[in-house]
Amino acid sequence: MGMMGAACSDPCASAPTPDTGDTVPTDWTPAALSDDIPVASAAPGQLGPHDLAIWRSASGRIAAWADRCPHRGMRLSHGFVRGERLSCIYHGWGYGEGGQCVRIPAHPELTPPEAIRVPVFSVAEASGVIWVAEEAPDSPPPEFPGVVAFRSLQVSAAPEALAAALGGTGTVIETVLGGAQVVALIQPLRDGAAGLHLLAPEGSDPAALDALSAEVEALRRRLEAAEEMTA
Amino acid sequence: MILYDYILSPSCYRVRLLAALIGRRLDLRAVDLHPGQEHLSEPMLALNPAGTIPVLTDDGLVLTESTAILTYLAAHDAPAWLGEDTPAMRARVAQWLAFAQRLTDSAGAARAHDMLLAPGDIDALRGQATQALRELEAALSAARRRGESFLAGNRPTIADIACFPHVALAPDGGLPLDPYPSIRLWMRAIRALDGFIEMPGIHRLHELKPEPGPMPEVIRKEQA
Amino acid sequence: MSELGAMRDQWYPVGMTKQLTAQGRDTLLMGEPIRVALAGGAPSVTDGTGRALPVIDRFGHVWTSLGQPEKDLFTIPEVDQPGRRLVDVGVCRVRCSPLRAVENFLDIAHFPFVHTDILGSEPHTEVARYEVEIRDDVDEVWATKVKFFQPQAAKSAEGGITTDYMYRVCAPTCSVLYKTCPPKPGEWDVIALFVQPLTETLCDVWPYMALYDDDAEMTDLIHFQQMIFVQDRSVLENQLPALLPLDPGREIPTRADMTSIAYRRWLKRHGFTYGAQLVAA
Repeated sequence: MGMMGAACSDPCASAPTPDTGDTVPTDWTPAALSDDIPVASAAPGQLGPHDLAIWRSASGRIAAWADRCPHRGMRLSHGFVRGERLSCIYHGWGYGEGGQCVRIPAHPELTPPEAIRVPVFSVAEASGVIWVAEEAPDSPPPEFPGVVAFRSLQVSAAPEALAAALGGTGTVIETVLGGAQVVALIQPLRDGAAGLHLLAPEGSDPAALDALSAEVEALRRRLEAAEEMTA
Repeated sequence: MILYDYILSPSCYRVRLLAALIGRRLDLRAVDLHPGQEHLSEPMLALNPAGTIPVLTDDGLVLTESTAILTYLAAHDAPAWLGEDTPAMRARVAQWLAFAQRLTDSAGAARAHDMLLAPGDIDALRGQATQALRELEAALSAARRRGESFLAGNRPTIADIACFPHVALAPDGGLPLDPYPSIRLWMRAIRALDGFIEMPGIHRLHELKPEPGPMPEVIRKEQA
Repeated sequence: MSELGAMRDQWYPVGMTKQLTAQGRDTLLMGEPIRVALAGGAPSVTDGTGRALPVIDRFGHVWTSLGQPEKDLFTIPEVDQPGRRLVDVGVCRVRCSPLRAVENFLDIAHFPFVHTDILGSEPHTEVARYEVEIRDDVDEVWATKVKFFQPQAAKSAEGGITTDYMYRVCAPTCSVLYKTCPPKPGEWDVIALFVQPLTETLCDVWPYMALYDDDAEMTDLIHFQQMIFVQDRSVLENQLPALLPLDPGREIPTRADMTSIAYRRWLKRHGFTYGAQLVAA
């Protein structure tokens, strides 16, 4: 049974019905680890049925936008970051604060119409984790003192099965894995998959972390083998 | 040095990429692999009975197998790319060169199937490729924990160049790279190297070039 | 899943003439299985029941239809000019709508970003005004007076030049572009994209060229065009929604997109909607 008491505040308690990748949770959803999206880079993410472009500007500001350029629908997660702007790889359309289009290279003198903007999602970073939501929940995402970001993996198993394998339910599970006290954050993905974002004890030695990585891989293997048998 | 080459071949690109990174000029001979099947023509089979490209010739030496060609180029012009000269490091590089063959046979074959209509059991190929990508992700995430950005130490080696093309082009074969953040960061590190060249399917890192003209945000700040 | 509608009675490329065999090759045309083969020395196309479909052998490729085309397949007179090198570039399969593949071919604003330092480079990103019309006499979309500065526009070009272009949509999934021909000023190099729709979201693209270039090796000509197309492919496989939106909705064009706007209007007018969506998503 996961211990959700001390390190977890109310907003991360899961709703009674299990989340699937098709419905959009109202709470914060873990989407990525901060270290995995360095300054001036973009990466793909998911929130329920939404594809996201999660990106960090040159000044370090994180943002989560719809992964779709309003021009011809190209994924913005394939784009490039210059300064405080995310530009689409297709025609170089540049978007700034709030998803507003600020530059169209084919028309350098044109101020892009205000109507050209990318839908923006709520995003927050805490304890090395990037959380997203359609609309910002009332409370900030949880903090986890004593642990730091370790690894993100995808597992071809339902989030509930992953949670159960970790000895808990819902989004935040504190458990012992590979001899370490870890925090496991579970993100529902489409097509019956789940994202697993792991936080490990601060100051762990390299051998312990390698052992933890091996243990997570083993857990994934077992889970996926079990899913295959029931499929 | 003559390289029998195909612009769309990730294996040939391994060689072209290393050559560009180490400043070695190659005389490229285009082989009409698709649609012409020229790699299976009599002259090409005489050069390489395996019927594969790339093939490198250098003053009488004929080399096949892209990873062997990488080894030759590095030893010839830029030995630092072979990795640190210790038994462990040399073995690690060799391990990744062998691993690179699994990428060719899985992700490479999936791409050839999806893009150029090559025959193959696509589900099996994607399953094998996913397994290989997960292993690579685990290794690169361990490297990051050690403060290293590359596969064999903290500088790029032929291990990285051997693995990079088929990984970067995995989406061409229906293998998204979304699940692998450490692979994504490793690919950025390679694409940002001095002298890096792309191949079709791998975009230029436009972020490395400053925005042409003054950015409006900068002008506004200066006016404030 | 769209009905084929008006697209049933059109011609589509389904193979390269040079590559036909007696045994034949199984493929798909808008969801229908077909076999393309050599029968008695001539190209033959049959459907899943063995029924013979109409066949045209033109531009190095085999063309067929699932219905009854009213018109002959379009012509490209330049192809018959003496001295032209005719290039079968080879098939490339793409997971995208056949209509998105054509629309990408019509676009030039992406040259500096997708074909970087080949067909375009920053800061030369501006797309000057050009002209577009739907020519009612031939029922084709034409864009003329298109120009763009290019660092290496063709295998035959030395250094950067401003390239002139014309674009033509001559069938719902076929387009021809005409571009500045450095060895023969006054003539156009011709590059065509023939797209075979396998399904609404999967297509086989058969590029074809008729060029004036006496120096380059045929393989180099083929590889240059394959390079350009495969650079586009990784964009095409990442556009959302997969089906081309034909109604104004979430996709916002600008003046540089006039050819694509005309193409979408022409598709809608004719009911060419296989690979398209009509409701703003």
